[in-house]
Amino acid sequence: MPGRVITITSGKGGVGKTTATANIGVALARRGQRVACVDADIGLRNLDVVMGLENRIVYDLVDVVEGRARLRQALIKDKRLPELQLLPAAQTRDKSAVNEKQMTKLCDDLKKEFDFVLIDSPAGIERGFKNSIAPADELLIIVTPEVSAVRDADRVIGLVEANEKPSPKLIINRLRPAMVKRGEMMDTADVLEVLAIELIGIVPEDDTIITSTNKGQPVALEDRSAAGAAFTRIARRLLGEDVPFQVFDESPGLLERFARLFRNP
Amino acid sequence: MSVVSFKGTREGLSITLGEGTWHEILNELATQLNRPSAQSFFQGARVLLETGERALDALRLEELIALLAQHSMTLTSVSGETRTQEAFDQVRAAMPAPPESLALETRETPAPTASSNEAQAMLIHRTVRSGQTFNYAGTIVIIGDVNPGAEVVAEGDVIVWGKLRGVVHAGAAGNEDAVVGALILAPTQLRIGKQIARAPDDRRARHFPEVARVRDGHIVVEPWIGS
Repeated sequence: MPGRVITITSGKGGVGKTTATANIGVALARRGQRVACVDADIGLRNLDVVMGLENRIVYDLVDVVEGRARLRQALIKDKRLPELQLLPAAQTRDKSAVNEKQMTKLCDDLKKEFDFVLIDSPAGIERGFKNSIAPADELLIIVTPEVSAVRDADRVIGLVEANEKPSPKLIINRLRPAMVKRGEMMDTADVLEVLAIELIGIVPEDDTIITSTNKGQPVALEDRSAAGAAFTRIARRLLGEDVPFQVFDESPGLLERFARLFRNP
Repeated sequence: MSVVSFKGTREGLSITLGEGTWHEILNELATQLNRPSAQSFFQGARVLLETGERALDALRLEELIALLAQHSMTLTSVSGETRTQEAFDQVRAAMPAPPESLALETRETPAPTASSNEAQAMLIHRTVRSGQTFNYAGTIVIIGDVNPGAEVVAEGDVIVWGKLRGVVHAGAAGNEDAVVGALILAPTQLRIGKQIARAPDDRRARHFPEVARVRDGHIVVEPWIGS
């Protein structure tokens, strides 16, 4: 059975596409799936850094497309999980180096060897975005609970639908339950009300993401962090498991309670 | 700007070509025309092509005419660069006259008129998302939400069976008798004819149907109860 090509995209930049791709890839690989993560952000590659594989790059996606390297030569095996591999983007070229047809061909080849092909899409709705969604069998849209991110996600969903792709699924990233509780942040229902697509995961804001990204150690390698656990749940849902949605502890923390005490004596 | 955009006019269906390679344009056009929901809407339409700054030669025009013909659509006029228009005259001269029956069929289709109550309506049955635009010479009826960033422009009324949160313009050709109605009326901006209103910055959407119309030169919003 050929694998599934899943593109992770958002429209807006900085909402966590690369982090999500790396972590969902890790979580799937930990469950024994053969996973290829493809960095489609040609010219601004990041996925290799987040996965901690930067120093192993010899060939990249453009080398494969242009016939300078075979797919096997360009794929980098993860140092921790043998089932996980990375196809890095070229750093010295730009988005015009590949077209939709070449991306589709590339993913067709990857599908034969892997259970999952995860494409990390660049931000925006231009060439690089189109290249990333052309080969997709499924799409995950990432959004943070902010009006601007939701607006961009809505635009991207419209474009995806116009391309006759199946309805994308939604990941709400960097949710801060305490802020939601105070009415300072959009909650899950607010986001879903506008976007009206199926939710596949909610990832809470988690400081460990920053350190793990800097170290190239995706949080989903371990189950300790809240974000890592959330990405693992998304991976399980992708595998067809019925995983209940976590209700994040929305009660204010100890500090918050103290602060309130002082505010309202 | 999208690759291809459609607009219903009194003379027929106007198709505007935007940015993109010729290949992308043909692809997009084919996709749009093949959409099941669009089939009946486009079937048999007379097409006015707006090519903008793009110069099309006879060969490309023929490709386009062939694509339209698959949906029983006929290209009746082209506006754009002189070169494109000359190419069109050339192609038309070489083309056999359209079969009589087809011509009759298209003539029978009533042109939408915004002023009459029997105006033809365009029905959109889905969520209209940010960046999407609908433009029609009659009334537009939407079953679904109109999200912020979306634009709906009608020469007649705009009726939304859902939440209206984008930009809406009814009576776009100047008809100030046009109305905008929605189950939840919370547009970013609402225009009727030449009048423009925006939601007050602190207005919270009310959870009952409302209708906006022009009264004494101002847009007023009132609960939507049957008249």
